[in-house]
Amino acid sequence: MASLLIKKASIASEDNDDLLPADVLVENGLITKIGNDIEADSATRVIDGSGKILSPAMFDTHIHMREPGQEAKETIKSGTEAAINGGITGVVLMPNTSPAIDSAAMVRTIYDIAERDARIPVYTSGCITKGREGKELAGIDGMLQLGVKMLTDDGDAVPDMMLLKRAMEYASEFDCFFASHCEVLELSGPRALNEGKVSYKLGIQGTPACSEEICMDRDIRLAHATGARLHIQHVSSKIGMETIRWWKQMGAKVTAEVSPHHLLFNEEDIGNYDTHYKMNPPLRTAEDNAALLQGLKEGVFDIIATDHAPHTPFEKEQDFVSAPNGITGLETAVVSLFHHYINKGEFGWSLLVNRYSAQPRRMMGLDPVAIVEGGRADFILFDPKGETTFSPDFMCSKSENTPFLNKTLDGSIDLVVVGDDILLQR
Amino acid sequence: MTRKDLLDIESLRREEIEHLLDQAAPFKELFTRSVKKVPALKGKSVLTLFYEPSTRTLSSFEVAAKRLSADVTTFDVPHSSVVKGESVRDTIATLQAMRTDYIIVRNQMAGIPLAIARATKASVINAGDGAHSHPTQALLDGFTFKEVFPEPAGKKLLIIGDILHSRVARSTSTLMRKLGVEVAWLGPGSLVPKHGPSEIKRFTNYDEAMKWSPDAVYLLRIQMERQSAPFFPSLREYTKLYGITQERFKRIADQGTYIMHPGPVNRGVELCDDVMQYQRCLIDQQVENGIATRMAVLYWLKPDTAGNESLTDEDTN
Amino acid sequence: MLSTLTEADISNGVKAIAEQIGQCNPDGKFVLVGVRSRGDEVAARILEQLSKIGIEVPMGILDISLYRDDLAHLNSNPKLQGSELPFPVDKAHIILVDDVLFTGRTVRAAIDAIMDYGRPAKIDLAVLIDRGHRELPFAPDYVGIHLETQRLDYVDVKLKGTDGVDFVEVTQNNKA
Repeated sequence: MASLLIKKASIASEDNDDLLPADVLVENGLITKIGNDIEADSATRVIDGSGKILSPAMFDTHIHMREPGQEAKETIKSGTEAAINGGITGVVLMPNTSPAIDSAAMVRTIYDIAERDARIPVYTSGCITKGREGKELAGIDGMLQLGVKMLTDDGDAVPDMMLLKRAMEYASEFDCFFASHCEVLELSGPRALNEGKVSYKLGIQGTPACSEEICMDRDIRLAHATGARLHIQHVSSKIGMETIRWWKQMGAKVTAEVSPHHLLFNEEDIGNYDTHYKMNPPLRTAEDNAALLQGLKEGVFDIIATDHAPHTPFEKEQDFVSAPNGITGLETAVVSLFHHYINKGEFGWSLLVNRYSAQPRRMMGLDPVAIVEGGRADFILFDPKGETTFSPDFMCSKSENTPFLNKTLDGSIDLVVVGDDILLQR
Repeated sequence: MTRKDLLDIESLRREEIEHLLDQAAPFKELFTRSVKKVPALKGKSVLTLFYEPSTRTLSSFEVAAKRLSADVTTFDVPHSSVVKGESVRDTIATLQAMRTDYIIVRNQMAGIPLAIARATKASVINAGDGAHSHPTQALLDGFTFKEVFPEPAGKKLLIIGDILHSRVARSTSTLMRKLGVEVAWLGPGSLVPKHGPSEIKRFTNYDEAMKWSPDAVYLLRIQMERQSAPFFPSLREYTKLYGITQERFKRIADQGTYIMHPGPVNRGVELCDDVMQYQRCLIDQQVENGIATRMAVLYWLKPDTAGNESLTDEDTN
Repeated sequence: MLSTLTEADISNGVKAIAEQIGQCNPDGKFVLVGVRSRGDEVAARILEQLSKIGIEVPMGILDISLYRDDLAHLNSNPKLQGSELPFPVDKAHIILVDDVLFTGRTVRAAIDAIMDYGRPAKIDLAVLIDRGHRELPFAPDYVGIHLETQRLDYVDVKLKGTDGVDFVEVTQNNKA
């Protein structure tokens, strides 16, 4: 394929708060030259990057793609296209499909579908327990042999502590880690929203934050006791975050993720029963928003992940309790984080690159894709002066359940390149 | 000015509440006539959509609508314990096609009346949605309270019982507070919500609450069947701590405190038999006022259905 | 402004009605029912005049809002003020009193309302002003003032009790 030259872009990296103005030359899928005034030959594709940010592409470790079983909501094909649309070039799927991804055979099925339908690499997690039922261990060895790195029953916690402990002890032999969806079922109620002002006002039983926090503490203690590596998923509360910080200080091998929606929204946004603000764990308070943002900046949160959860409009239009939990996030993450934080000076590109591109890859045993000479080409070009309107036409996901639907935010992703291929160009 | 729907008390302005309470009286006056009907809603259709069983509220609405000469139909829906959201959505499609003028909805899921109101041109009245809201109950409570206390501001109302699960407690608390009444809650700690307006005093001890000298106590029905999880050990224990026992009733009667209850009552649990004979027990009045209040609501609301031109009130003598 | 009636005109109108009623019903076996709003004030004044000529009768007030034939066409329904009929309607001789008789729809509503209270022996109609342009077949039995108007004219009646002054103004409708 002909080589590619990005001219006059500002290069972002996790190491440097400042953006480096330069030209970048890609040949045979590798970045061969970074410098000023690089000349191109007639065969080279030239893209003007002036005024734009050239950033390593993002990697999302928490995605629900609903295939097999609920393809009306999303498939691996539509989901990966949505990822590309959002500047994401690698995804890790959650195993709560139908049937669940709890065996080598299922993992192979996912890889086959991805091979056929996806333009970006697709990784998958595997269940801890068979069918995610929380009763027996899943076929862990088989899955790990096929390269699975993350074991999780996401969608649910593992209620049986002995079972979880045994799983952690068993897997200590292997190169993998556990990821925890934290919640105590006895405290959950109808899993609709946070227990607080808004649950009172709307007359619906809420889930107290301590439900998540107790389980978080429990899982970290078990991991610490067994030597397992643990990753806490979608943290929603301040005290939850402080719990993780404390355990990190105690030397526990724990990492944690936060989602854009838990940073940006809180229970007040639910308004009059708007299910676009309904997910599990639920949105909590403005105080939690502020604390989580601080935790992201300080590195308590190692990574950002969207928990992309597509649902059909019909399902989301039900009454608040019956509607399924979750919103999509692949296409809106980068732009919304830019609009609300980078563009307002809350944090810079270096933080975003670290938390959403480099660290997630490292967590999965992959190399980050820094923009350096000799490195793989895997980047996006972002226009800070552009705009993105998240209309149904714009979005590639099959589902539209996002609070950003039809909203216009600052910034746009204009180019996605992996290796020699331009996956997206606007 | 008016509204299409009555979904909760929260969204009503004080003037609107005062207006509705004021308008219930002329309707109550009609009950003394031999012909209790008036033709105000003649030719209009009223549909009742009750997913939760209820004889009292349902028949109160039916009588109210019929006394306004409306045609009342019951929409047959399953009364099973939980009705999932899908079937309500399908019902909404049918309702839109039926072009009814008024729909009265009761459902276990909070927010369903709102969803129906958004989807149809009919005037939707919330007859109770989950633990969220029961606006007509609050209005009839307010009307009854004002009959006894024409100047309600500054008066004190103590609500006793399972506040947490009670849409009546929420709506009535909100309405009374909008009228300037001081509201307090009494009940077991597990049944009095921590969240909710901080101005509402919370008591967990009966004697402490009565020291507050309420002008009226509002008793909520205590049911064991509503509870799937243990909020308090037994009905007996509840009655011992919070029920209006004979001994407590004597003291209430001495003080002249009024007693209210949305019904149906659980004799021997939240109150003793003597309460029902008490001169200042307002329970029967509440029932009578329920019909008048619901007539006032049906008369006040205006559906979006065809025939509404923008005329002002003209005297066509 | 096309024409006006003064306080004196109104007062004379009331007196004329009271005299007529007195002449036709010397036994005083009737009741007055004023139709809200303003019809009740006219009825109260007639009552006062009747009293001066030695006739004392009961008086009631009727709110016909619930019986109007145009409710479905209004943006919001008129505020109710309630009725008070402190006498049995069965077998009564009722003289309905209103301030203005125009299309006759108010009279129709008033009669329907009264019928729901009982079965009167007779209903007569007394109006302070008859402005013509009937749309229903009703005729008044007692009239204070006959006023010539066009169908679309506005007749604005103000009475001391309700509006602070006694004054009637007829204005042209410019939208016509």
